[in-house]
Amino acid sequence: MSDNNILLKVRDLKVKFPIMGGIFQKKVAEVRAVDGVSFDVMKAETLGIVGESGCGKSTLGKALINVLRLTAPGVEISGEVLLEKDGSYIDLLKLNKKEMSIYRPDIQMIFQDPFSSLNPRMLVGEIIQEPLDINTKLSKAEKRDKVAWLLEKVGLSAEQSSRYPHEFSGGQRQRIGIARALATNPRLIIADEPVSALDVSIQAQVINLMMDLQEEFNLSFMFIAHDLSVVEHISSRIGVMYLGNLVEIGSSDNVNDSPKHPYTQSLLSAVPIPDPKSKENRKRIVLQGDVPSPLAKPSGCGFRTRCFIVKPECANGVPPLDEKAKNHFAACPYTE
Amino acid sequence: MSDIKPQSDSILKKRLRKFKSMKRGYYSFILICTLYVLSFLNPILVNNQALIVSYEGNTFFPAVSSLFKPIFDTPNYEGKQFGQTEVFGKTLFGEPNYRELQKQFEKEGKGNWVLMPIYPYSPVENLLSEISSEPPTAPDSKHIFGTDNRGRDVFARLAYGFQISISFAILVTIFAYSIGISIGATLGYFGGKVDIFGQRIIEVFSGIPFLFMMMILVSFVKPSFLLLGAMLVFIGGWIGMTYFVRGEFYREKAKDYVSAAISIGTTDLNVMFKHILPNALTPVITFAPFAIVGYISSLVALDFLGFGLAPPTPSWGELISQGTQDIRYWWLIVSPLIAMFFTLITIIFIGEGIREAFDPKVYSRLR
Repeated sequence: MSDNNILLKVRDLKVKFPIMGGIFQKKVAEVRAVDGVSFDVMKAETLGIVGESGCGKSTLGKALINVLRLTAPGVEISGEVLLEKDGSYIDLLKLNKKEMSIYRPDIQMIFQDPFSSLNPRMLVGEIIQEPLDINTKLSKAEKRDKVAWLLEKVGLSAEQSSRYPHEFSGGQRQRIGIARALATNPRLIIADEPVSALDVSIQAQVINLMMDLQEEFNLSFMFIAHDLSVVEHISSRIGVMYLGNLVEIGSSDNVNDSPKHPYTQSLLSAVPIPDPKSKENRKRIVLQGDVPSPLAKPSGCGFRTRCFIVKPECANGVPPLDEKAKNHFAACPYTE
Repeated sequence: MSDIKPQSDSILKKRLRKFKSMKRGYYSFILICTLYVLSFLNPILVNNQALIVSYEGNTFFPAVSSLFKPIFDTPNYEGKQFGQTEVFGKTLFGEPNYRELQKQFEKEGKGNWVLMPIYPYSPVENLLSEISSEPPTAPDSKHIFGTDNRGRDVFARLAYGFQISISFAILVTIFAYSIGISIGATLGYFGGKVDIFGQRIIEVFSGIPFLFMMMILVSFVKPSFLLLGAMLVFIGGWIGMTYFVRGEFYREKAKDYVSAAISIGTTDLNVMFKHILPNALTPVITFAPFAIVGYISSLVALDFLGFGLAPPTPSWGELISQGTQDIRYWWLIVSPLIAMFFTLITIIFIGEGIREAFDPKVYSRLR
């Protein structure tokens, strides 16, 4: 893992949403949606992030493109998000609005819901052209050509730029979202469950499109999903999140074949297998209870309330990510 | 390959088509628009000045000339120019009485002629020397809605009052909504502390009693058209829309297209007004006709109470207040009330049509 190959370093990222109450709107509690997450994104790789609903995957993605302040004005973000730019690393969280606008084109996002991620009042051409208006100094004709080129890259036709988003299907809209993300020439695209709202047949098309584009433009992807089979297909490395923490990260094969963290083990045991014979051989691990509320996280390891190998020491502190095998880390001291 | 271009309709176009399909609202809209446009031609439709005077081979256009007086320094006409020195036995100074001039020319038979507007009376002209009895006089063939207690023609005052009422209401609505939208958008978009403090300030403003404040202000200054409008806007007119727009912005900004707009580097101002505002206009457009109705009524009420536009501005409220002083002069109450009823109900029909066309259940779902 040579150091100059890292595009984005995330160090101890914490995102806390305060809960206000009382007459003077004081903070009465906080939701620790992302609670100290560290990982790297390599150049031209796909990092898959999996985890169940509410574990902080989407918040993590939105924290990286720095849009959380809008919907949650009191949100507290701490840690470091270091983006490689010309050999040095810039901490995006320390930038003000104006400085941030220089680096915004480098990280783009594809959103989960293709129905709300496109402005219903704008033509598709306008939607894709807007990043060009803001970030480039192209002439009108050049912009039009670029929009047509982008549309063709994602498998739509140039004539469709004069239509409104409501005239497209979900898969087509997701392609428009991808074209918009590509328009800024990004180096990292955060894909926040880009296919979970689509039909299975369309899912494959969109994922294959993303893989083709990755090859063509040398893109890095951070692929957030809850569908393990999709993540396994597209990712070179996989990170597993539970309750705001990264509990395991490693290469796709390692995580799938020999999961180290008990949560990953139970998660993988629930993946449907098409072959009934091998299904019989598999030990199904069924977890007890529900995910604890992020408002009242258990002390120590967040997973200890449901863990099947829990020990009394688990309450004593958040276990760090240990290197269990080469480039394979898990946040549990009691597994091999 | 066929050459048929796919028809692409924006949501607005769809809504307009739906509005057109609602006959009552659509025809009301056409009617009120026609009348409003016609009311700008009042100086050549309802006026005591002649359209054309042909006198000794020369042609004059007094009505048009006084219409453009504020813009071009057009000449004033005097009675002696047309050989009119005496009207109703009194020596005439200044402007001619064109109705009498018309009769005079006919009597003389020298080929001079006068073309009067369709309704040859002005809203501020005193007709004391022409009407048969003490004013106010009841409706007759000449003055179709009678005259008021100062001997002015009621129909002419209603016609000019219509234009003033509608213009006033539209202007106040536009200004009140612009301010309300800007403030509501700021509160909703930035949220947090801006929102909390902003809302407290709005609550302070909404606590000002409108009528008392109006009475106090009017006792200092006799308001002109624009000043009265500004008063209505600032004492509370802007407040109502802030709530709706703030709420719309809160809802819209959580949608992913706003996050996408920010992540490509759009400025806050552009996100607010280019991306979110077009999606937050439904309450604005839906409430606008009802706000116009409200401001027409406000103007009538203020005029009725004597806190409105300075006399001798033609106003419906002032006519009603004259009528209430003596119930025998029924036409002073009935005619402005009919005019008001007709105007308000037409605009309410429009409002209903717009509300129906903008019903979120039909077209505004995002797909």
